[in-house]
Amino acid sequence: MNAPKRLKLETPTKPTLTPILADELYKELPLIDVYVGKIKDPKTTSKVVVELNSVLPIPELTHLKRVRGKEILLFPKGDNDEDDCLTVLKQKGFDVDLIESQVRVIAVAEIPPKVRKQYEVVHKLWPCNFHSNAYWEKLSTNSLFSDSELEQHAKFMRIAIDICDICSVRVSAVVVDPVITSVVGFGFDQTSDYPTKHAVMVAIDEVARSQKGGVWPRHQNYDKIQSLLKMKHENLQFGFSTSGEGPYLCTGYSVYTTCEPCITCAMALVHSRAKRVFYGVKSEKGALGSSCKIHIVENLNHHYEAFAGLLETECRAVSCEQ
Amino acid sequence: MELTDTEQQFMEKAFEYAYEALAAKEVPVGCIFVYKDEIVALGRNTVNESRNATRHTEINCIEQVTDYCRDKGLDLGAAFRQVCVYVTVEPCIMCINALYDLGVHSVVFGCKNDRFGGQTVFDVGSVRQAPTRIKGGWRAEEAMNLLKEFYKGVNPSAPPSKVKVRGKKT
Repeated sequence: MNAPKRLKLETPTKPTLTPILADELYKELPLIDVYVGKIKDPKTTSKVVVELNSVLPIPELTHLKRVRGKEILLFPKGDNDEDDCLTVLKQKGFDVDLIESQVRVIAVAEIPPKVRKQYEVVHKLWPCNFHSNAYWEKLSTNSLFSDSELEQHAKFMRIAIDICDICSVRVSAVVVDPVITSVVGFGFDQTSDYPTKHAVMVAIDEVARSQKGGVWPRHQNYDKIQSLLKMKHENLQFGFSTSGEGPYLCTGYSVYTTCEPCITCAMALVHSRAKRVFYGVKSEKGALGSSCKIHIVENLNHHYEAFAGLLETECRAVSCEQ
Repeated sequence: MELTDTEQQFMEKAFEYAYEALAAKEVPVGCIFVYKDEIVALGRNTVNESRNATRHTEINCIEQVTDYCRDKGLDLGAAFRQVCVYVTVEPCIMCINALYDLGVHSVVFGCKNDRFGGQTVFDVGSVRQAPTRIKGGWRAEEAMNLLKEFYKGVNPSAPPSKVKVRGKKT
C-alpha cells in the first residue's frame, strides 16, 4: 500500500472487484507433443485426411484441425521417437508414400480453449476450433458488470461495512435478492455465542427464517440495526419475494461479506445454493481464492461465482487479520 | 476397520439417529459427540425442518457441546480437543472444517460421502493444519443404503427440476 501514487486522470470512484475464476477460464492451456508430417502432393490432401481419420482417429484432440497448409497432424507423440512414427503409420495401414519421410514434433493444445485469450495463444501453435462463450468472455475479462451494476454491488457492501460499524464486529454478511434488489437477511460474527455462528452462517439462518425456518433466535438488536441502515441508505429495501416457485434456500441470491469466507462458510453457501458471493478483504483461511476455491470444486452439485476486493480498503478498515 | 466395544456402541447410537432422520424425511445422517466417555451431544440432520441447508448433525452437535460446556463451566477449547465424534457418514466439507477449527480429537464415520465429503470430494486436510484423527468404514454399507433409500425418494423441500431431458419433445 506504500507504492508511490500514480497520477490519476479520472476520479477514482468506480468500484472494482476481481472474479475468482475456475482455472480453466484463465490458466494457460496444457500442451501435448504431436507428430506433424508434410503432404507430398497438395492434391491428395483430402485423401490423406480421410485415410488418416479412418486408420488413426484422435478422439482426444478433436478440437484441433487435422491440416495446416501442407502439414498434417499425425498422432500424439507418446513415448516413441521420430523414427518410430512412420513405422506406426505403416502398421496401421496408412500409405506413408503420401507424406514426406521427414516428420517433426510440435506442441499443441491438449484441451480445447475456453476463452479467446487461451485460443489466441494455442491457435498460433496449430489451428484450433473455438466456440466463444459470451458469458465466460465477460467473466474472464472482468467486464461482466456495468458501472451502475458495480455501484449497486458496492452499495450492498457498504451496508455490510455499516453493520460491522454499528455492531463493533469485524465480519458481517448481507444476503440480497438481486431480482428485487432487496436485503433478505444479514448476519454478523457471533462466534462468542456459538463457534458455528460465523457472519455467513447467521445470515443463512436469517434467510431460513424468511422461509419459515431458522434455528437461532434473531439477534436482539436486529430490528434496531435494520432501522439505522434504512435511515442511512435511501430507498434500501428489506424483504423477500414469493413470486414464481417461491424462495428455496439462497437460490438466486447474492451474498456480500466484508471478509473472504472460510471453508465452512464457503461450503455452507454451496449447500445453500447461493448465486454470487462478493467479499472485501482476502483472508489467509479464506476458501474463495486464498487457501482454496470451494466455489468451483468440480465434483460438487452446485457452484457459484465469487468476486474479491469489493470496497477492499473500507472492508480492511473494519476487518480482521489483515 | 476395528472398533472397541464401547466405540461400537457409540456408532450404534449414531445409527439410531440416522434411521430417525430417514423416518423424518431428512438426509439420514446421525451423530454423537463423546467427551470423557460420556455422550455430550447427539442428533441428526435437521435441514428440511429448519429450511437451513447448514443444519447438519455435526453442526447441531457442536452447539449442544457448547451448551454442555457452559452448563458445566468447562473451557470450550480444551473440552473440544477431547471430543470424539461418531457419525454414520463422512462429514462434509463444511462440517469437517468446523471440526478441524475446534480441534476435535477424532472422527469415526460409517460410509464415505461421495457428494460432499471433506476428504472424498475435497480434502480439507490438504489445505490446512488438522490435528484430528479420522477413520472411516464402520457399517459403511448400511450407512450408504440409508442414503440410497433417502435419495430414492423425493426431497420434499427442493423446487421442481429445471433440467430438460435431451431429445424429449414436449
